Amino acid sequence: MKNILYIVILIGQLYGAQNWAPHSAHLLPAQRWEMGVFQPFRYGYTETFEVSLHPLLFFIMPNLSFKVPHQNMGGWVTASRHSLIYPTPILNLVSKGTKIGNNIASLISPNFHIPPMIGISNDWVMSRSLDLADITLHGGIDLGIVVGDLDERSSIDLPLVYHRLGVYYNTWGLDLGFDIFRYLTKRLGIHADIDLRLLPGLSGNYDVEHKFLFIWNKSERFQFCTGYKFFYGKFPYGKQARFLPYLPLMETWIPFFEMQFSRDRVSSKTQ
Amino acid sequence: MNCRILLIGLTLFYSCEPFVNEFPNEISVAEMYESVAKTPAVATAAPQVITWNIRFGSARFPFYGDSCGDKVIAKKNDIKDNLDNIVAEINSLDLDIILLQEVDMFSKRSGYINQIQYLLDNTAMNYGCYASIWQADFIPNYGLGRVDLGNAILSKYELNDAERIQLQLRTDQSGLVQYFYLRRNILKVKIPNLNLYAINIHATAFATDDTKQKHIDKFIQVLADIDISGNRFIAGGDLNSLPPGAPVIDFCEHDMCTDENFHTKDKEPYHKEGSYFNNFSGEPDILQPLYASYIPGIPSQMMNNPEHLTHAPSTSNEQMGIKYDRKLDYLFTNIAEGWMAGSASTHQNLWPLSDHIPVSAVLNLTDD
Repeated sequence: MKNILYIVILIGQLYGAQNWAPHSAHLLPAQRWEMGVFQPFRYGYTETFEVSLHPLLFFIMPNLSFKVPHQNMGGWVTASRHSLIYPTPILNLVSKGTKIGNNIASLISPNFHIPPMIGISNDWVMSRSLDLADITLHGGIDLGIVVGDLDERSSIDLPLVYHRLGVYYNTWGLDLGFDIFRYLTKRLGIHADIDLRLLPGLSGNYDVEHKFLFIWNKSERFQFCTGYKFFYGKFPYGKQARFLPYLPLMETWIPFFEMQFSRDRVSSKTQ
Repeated sequence: MNCRILLIGLTLFYSCEPFVNEFPNEISVAEMYESVAKTPAVATAAPQVITWNIRFGSARFPFYGDSCGDKVIAKKNDIKDNLDNIVAEINSLDLDIILLQEVDMFSKRSGYINQIQYLLDNTAMNYGCYASIWQADFIPNYGLGRVDLGNAILSKYELNDAERIQLQLRTDQSGLVQYFYLRRNILKVKIPNLNLYAINIHATAFATDDTKQKHIDKFIQVLADIDISGNRFIAGGDLNSLPPGAPVIDFCEHDMCTDENFHTKDKEPYHKEGSYFNNFSGEPDILQPLYASYIPGIPSQMMNNPEHLTHAPSTSNEQMGIKYDRKLDYLFTNIAEGWMAGSASTHQNLWPLSDHIPVSAVLNLTDD
């Protein structure tokens, strides 16, 4: 049961509404924190250092990310984002699976043991406010360091998962993305993005992810998002396109929902 | 503009394949394949036909789903080596028509190889058709992953009008298990150069209800429809049924894994699934109507001979030294001249290549 809960949280994190602009080059103000049901906890440690992690997954997938600002470039706000992740424990948990009747439900065959491995991501982020909307561009390099033998048959060949873990099988990858955000009314906004992940040399060597969200700001402390994610990517068996989240038994797409909370640590002052 | 956006959106939405293909239509068009380079073939009066359950090219891999194994995903190079061995046999036998069961197409467990294309491109077979019995983006059972398994017919000659005929689903499973489970079928195709139909079936193996009876009844019905309409057929496959009069109908103790126990009073299940052939009234004689109506590849007086047994799981050999203990694989035809005398063969020397032994025979079309 515990394993299923972890997988649900992980899946939620993969769909990733990621709002209140963690995608942008703007950092959280000092002492402010934000988090969502499936979102990482983000904290503005100082005006020039933002840290984030997934607290619910931290003990089975240690992870840490931070963002630092850089000099503005021709009207663009710039920052760099750096992440470390250690997915070995959660992958071995997933490989162990959950016994259901006489069967083992698992995403990785129990025959495989996942060795220690660390993922390092470094991204350059640029944001700009235009009359039409706020836009953000990002691009970076991902590295997968594996200590031991990682059997290529242990891959989880599912949308979002395969290409995120592909960096460990390929040792490196690139990511590029574009985000756009606009308020339609005082409280209602839309956020759309498109991300390209490249894994040169891997048999499933790219994926494109697109997300579209409606965001309703109830207050400066709470917001609600709903929308879809669209995935198109190449796998070792061919290409696949899918709207997500997808309910297999119903064979249908459903919108995802996310609630996000925010507070200032020392006062109720907001951004 | 709005309509255009809506159209693009709908196109993208409906381009998504189902997670599990439930094959809702009773009859659908089968997939067609051709070899990259054709081998010239002239229609013969004595075409050689074979039926072979190739166990997804895994040979005697200790797969968890059968044979008491504990392995799930085979190495791609091992699958290729096994397919090369199958290719070598196909080429050495100089076959005209091949009925294949358990062919994997882009399945994770067999290295994502298009096995039909591989066989077509490496043998003298020019055309193929395929009907999937198990097609899912991801089977979460033991991390099996993507699966596409099915029946195929390969031929030197052109194939037309290939149909996938859906068979009844098992009724002894929960809805969740059934959703992720196999959807068996009959594959039917016309071979105009030989003026006959080829029919291939892989009937249920593990059902403990009367699903097998429904599968065999449907097979008989498909053959009868062809026969009544005055057409000719060769038919066969893995019927997962014993010949009438088989001396043994209970293989539970042969097939039992080391941690299993059957035939214990008041303990369920009493029999091992797939190892007991008397689950419903009449099961031991389930193939009698086929033998009564059509001409079998292996003549009925020989069908229960040890040299024509076609199956035993690897465990039987490992634990008891038994390589074959039952006949499950068959060929039939309604062509009056039947099969060439003495041409039928059960290729028991090919035991290492699969957990089923292929059965071949040469058709007699000399009256054409």
